[in-house]
Amino acid sequence: MSQLPFDPLLISIAIPLALALLIAFGLPKRWSIRLAYVAFAVPLLMALHTWWHFSAQPQTAGYAFLTNYTTGLQGIGISLKLGLNGISMPLFVLAGIVGFAAGLYAIRSQAERLKIYLMLLLIMQGGLMGVFASVDVFFLYFFHELALIPTFIMVGIWGGRDRSYAAMKLTIYLTAGAMISLVGLIALYVKSGANTFDLIALKAHLAANPLPVTLQENIFGLLVFGFGILVSLWPLHTWAPLGYGAAPSSNAMLHAGVLKKFGLYGLIQVGLPLLPAGLTHWAHPLAWLAVVGNVLIVGLITIAQRDLKQMLGYSSVMHMGYAFLGIAAGSTLGVGGVVLMMVAHGLSVALLFLLATSIYQRTQTFALDEMGGLASKTPVLAAFFVSGTFASIGLPGFANFWGELTIFIALWKFSPLITALAVAGVVISAVYGLRAAARVFFGPATERMADVATRNPPTDLAWSEKIPALILLFSLLFVGFWPKSMSEPINAALTPAAAAVVAK
Amino acid sequence: MTPAQLAISVLVLPLASAAVIALFLRRSGGLASLVSVLAATGIAGGALLLAFGGKDARFTAASEWLRFGDFAISIGFKFDDLAALMLSIVGVVGLCVHVFSLGYMHGDASRGRYFGGLSIFMFSMLGIVFADNLFMLFIFWELVGFSSWLLINHYMDKQSAADASKKAFIVNRVGDFGFLLGILWCQAQFGTTNLDALAKLVEGGAVAATAIPLLLFCGAVGKSAQLPLHVWLPDAMEGPTPVSALIHAATMVAAGIYMLCRINVLMVPDALSVIMWVGTFTAVYAALCAITQSDIKKVLAYSTLSQLGYMVAAFGLGSVSSTHMHGDTPHTVLLEAGVGAAMFHLTTHAFFKALMFLGSGSVIHACHHEQDIFKMGGLAKKLPITFFTFTIGVLAIIGMPLLAGFFSKDAILFLSYVVDKRVFVLLAFTAILTAFYMVRMWKIVFLGLPRSENAHHAHEGGLALTAPLVVLALLSVVGGYEWFYEKVLRGAFEGVLELVPHAHDTDHTVILATSLAVLLIGALSAFALYRPSPTDTLAEKAPGLFGALVALKGAFDRSYDYYVAKMQQRFAMLLNFLEQILLAGVIIRGLAGIVGLFGLGARALHVGNANAYTYWFLFGVAALWAAAAGVLIF
Repeated sequence: MSQLPFDPLLISIAIPLALALLIAFGLPKRWSIRLAYVAFAVPLLMALHTWWHFSAQPQTAGYAFLTNYTTGLQGIGISLKLGLNGISMPLFVLAGIVGFAAGLYAIRSQAERLKIYLMLLLIMQGGLMGVFASVDVFFLYFFHELALIPTFIMVGIWGGRDRSYAAMKLTIYLTAGAMISLVGLIALYVKSGANTFDLIALKAHLAANPLPVTLQENIFGLLVFGFGILVSLWPLHTWAPLGYGAAPSSNAMLHAGVLKKFGLYGLIQVGLPLLPAGLTHWAHPLAWLAVVGNVLIVGLITIAQRDLKQMLGYSSVMHMGYAFLGIAAGSTLGVGGVVLMMVAHGLSVALLFLLATSIYQRTQTFALDEMGGLASKTPVLAAFFVSGTFASIGLPGFANFWGELTIFIALWKFSPLITALAVAGVVISAVYGLRAAARVFFGPATERMADVATRNPPTDLAWSEKIPALILLFSLLFVGFWPKSMSEPINAALTPAAAAVVAK
Repeated sequence: MTPAQLAISVLVLPLASAAVIALFLRRSGGLASLVSVLAATGIAGGALLLAFGGKDARFTAASEWLRFGDFAISIGFKFDDLAALMLSIVGVVGLCVHVFSLGYMHGDASRGRYFGGLSIFMFSMLGIVFADNLFMLFIFWELVGFSSWLLINHYMDKQSAADASKKAFIVNRVGDFGFLLGILWCQAQFGTTNLDALAKLVEGGAVAATAIPLLLFCGAVGKSAQLPLHVWLPDAMEGPTPVSALIHAATMVAAGIYMLCRINVLMVPDALSVIMWVGTFTAVYAALCAITQSDIKKVLAYSTLSQLGYMVAAFGLGSVSSTHMHGDTPHTVLLEAGVGAAMFHLTTHAFFKALMFLGSGSVIHACHHEQDIFKMGGLAKKLPITFFTFTIGVLAIIGMPLLAGFFSKDAILFLSYVVDKRVFVLLAFTAILTAFYMVRMWKIVFLGLPRSENAHHAHEGGLALTAPLVVLALLSVVGGYEWFYEKVLRGAFEGVLELVPHAHDTDHTVILATSLAVLLIGALSAFALYRPSPTDTLAEKAPGLFGALVALKGAFDRSYDYYVAKMQQRFAMLLNFLEQILLAGVIIRGLAGIVGLFGLGARALHVGNANAYTYWFLFGVAALWAAAAGVLIF
């Protein structure tokens, strides 16, 4: 059992935000950097601590580490209630791991205006920890917005090609998505009549007095499409490849890896238990959009990409299709698979975005056609990238495999036809994954690459790149070899919820 | 140590070896090869201990790996005689190949990666052998695919190697698409994929939907390179030769046949006949392709395809009823002869094909990486041990009496003779072709005079290269005899080998006569036709026939290339074009325009400075909080 004299959840939110505030008020650069190591390490350590002690922790309504802080807003049912259940704990851990890796990479990245860059990243980090630690729906949303805003700014300032267009598009889309889902959440708050945003109380209240079916369907629809935009549900996905293509690496790692999961998390944590009739209504349209749009169409589009970062962005959109399919399947198995998939995808996509930047620094390009033969010069980089690629295309041994497999098994019960189409995606992802790895690393070097290499001989991964990459890769393998470490708490959290869905 | 603990150690040993090499020995090739070879020795030792541990060493054990709701995946061991046989093959051939690699890869700069890859492969292959349920089988199935990719890609600066490894993995994924669907369907229909549980359910009267065994068979079509997914195997010869021997001849490609034998209980007659025909056509087709090859490894690759077709066909021929006199009453039993014949041939093939691949490795090594048989010649005198052992391999594969291949091939011919005469004719024709292309290659490589500088200076490699050849040659001789399995191996694999069909009386005469006739026709015509010359005699004497065979070989690759380049790629480009133009261009920019109008009013706040934005944001948050908390009264 956890014996910490303080609340690990509050600490992991407060420390990054506090440092961000200090930097905003003019902390010297030297100290900003030193303290940044601490501020990124604390959430990681706290997350690992909660993971380790989770099952031994006393639980209330499935939540461990539950604490309540007054905010002065009790009048409208808002209080800062922190806690972790089996669904949020894995994501809390994901945010800790990816945040630490992205933070380390950023500190050593020699970005211009490093202080502000770190400040924004710290705000993201604090927000992310808050998203998954909040039991209160208001703060769930609040922390998401807190983490989202730095993304717009970072893309706009430190972004690559087309950064202003990308930043604008990102802002429009994500704000629209957040707004639509906000309307849904407010409707839920108002119509439930419970006068509270507290998820535990809401669950209890709605279990006793369920909303009318039509209302459930409408609110769930708002959530599906609002959150859907945030998770890049086809055809509302076009912000993602563009945004990730332009985003600076640490930001892309945190956004694609962690923040993007907010929409799925909201559907699973809020939508499924509170609006069971909504899923029944929307499952089929959602599944068809996901399988035809995200998996097949976007999968094929990914094959046609010639830019490494765009390719990664599209592949990430494709994999989100599997997550939607798992939600549509709705069973414990399907939703459990989605949670595993979120963790796995977060780790692997963060790893690949990190390595894409490392590749760019050695080749001076993201164009796949202009690379080649890098493996013999930078074998360690090649090994990491190949591992990340195989993880993302679902090779057993990496966490992603379990997510995909369990989703497929659950999906068969939902619809064998959709399953067959979804499984075809594993061939597509093998095609684009291996093609990209081969273009970058194998075969003879292209003329341009040979030219770059003679002027600027590529060096293998430095420790500042190796350590964050190693953390992510190790986590992928750890969950891949020992899925129970994640699946046990997830299963415990889902089993009563799924039973309720079936009972209805 | 209990058998279960021993089995776990055997499984984990190569994984540990791979991990150690990947983490610490990347640059020290010598140490890496030592670690890997020691691991292989441990595996071989453990495998034989398990296989010959008697009936007590047969066990099942499982432990839960992941659970959601009422669904669970277990990591489990099903160690019966079938697994014991496969385990022994993997252990022994694996050790031979590891030792051979010590010599063959001696000068390679990336030895660490190579031996790490071999260890990963051993781990994955052992997982397939032990698996007690289809999900676990699938997991290791994918992992052998990965190790195959890694090892084919060993010479990664070569474009051809990069392409071949990619092709192998993707083509296998196409097969696995069906395989995975079959597993999902099986799980949905039976509620389990545990092999023992499935057997019980089928015994209780449950019948699998025909699609299930057919979908599962797709996995074998990919892994065992059957038509129409055979295209990756010849290209896979880009990998180092010992890899070709271990992975692409003896073990991994045979995993498809092993898997079929594992799921034998799910088979229904319709599925079996599809499997039988796929195997038969692969056997004939690949044998025809082998005739025109000039690369020594490609000849062997097509030969492997053809022999795998033999095994698949044997499996598809299915069960036969045989009548024994039990005292005075005739006693009819249904014999799973397909499993017996397929596994028997798998065993002997693993020995003689690994032998020939390693032999070709020895030749290639001696000729400084020359692989064109027309640039060899006269190697019989230069490489006596290789010549002698290779000859045993050739004789074994063409079915020379008294050698291993003779017995296993006859079992299959007999089975086809009993079950389906058409298959019998086609397989007998394949046997003629086999003798023909094998003797052709053997004569061109080893007889006559050296036709190149490299062949002229060839000399035998060290003990690491020759010792594995001798061991495998020995196994290629004794591996077909019943007394070897009964007396020397004390009936350890009885559960499989008692299923091997045996011809009696007139059938026996027919089969023996056929098999001798096809052997003589094929071997003698090749011996008469081919001269040890720098050009292909068949191409000179019958250019039309030769051209037709070449075209036949290229037909699949050409149509797949057409599909990939002209259809799939263009379709993807079209979708991409639509995506960029329609979605990103028209719809979104239109939307952005509207939003932009609203944005004009807010432009005053946009000073383009991150600090300013942050302050605005903080200010807004504070104001909102104040409003909601009732601090601020409007």
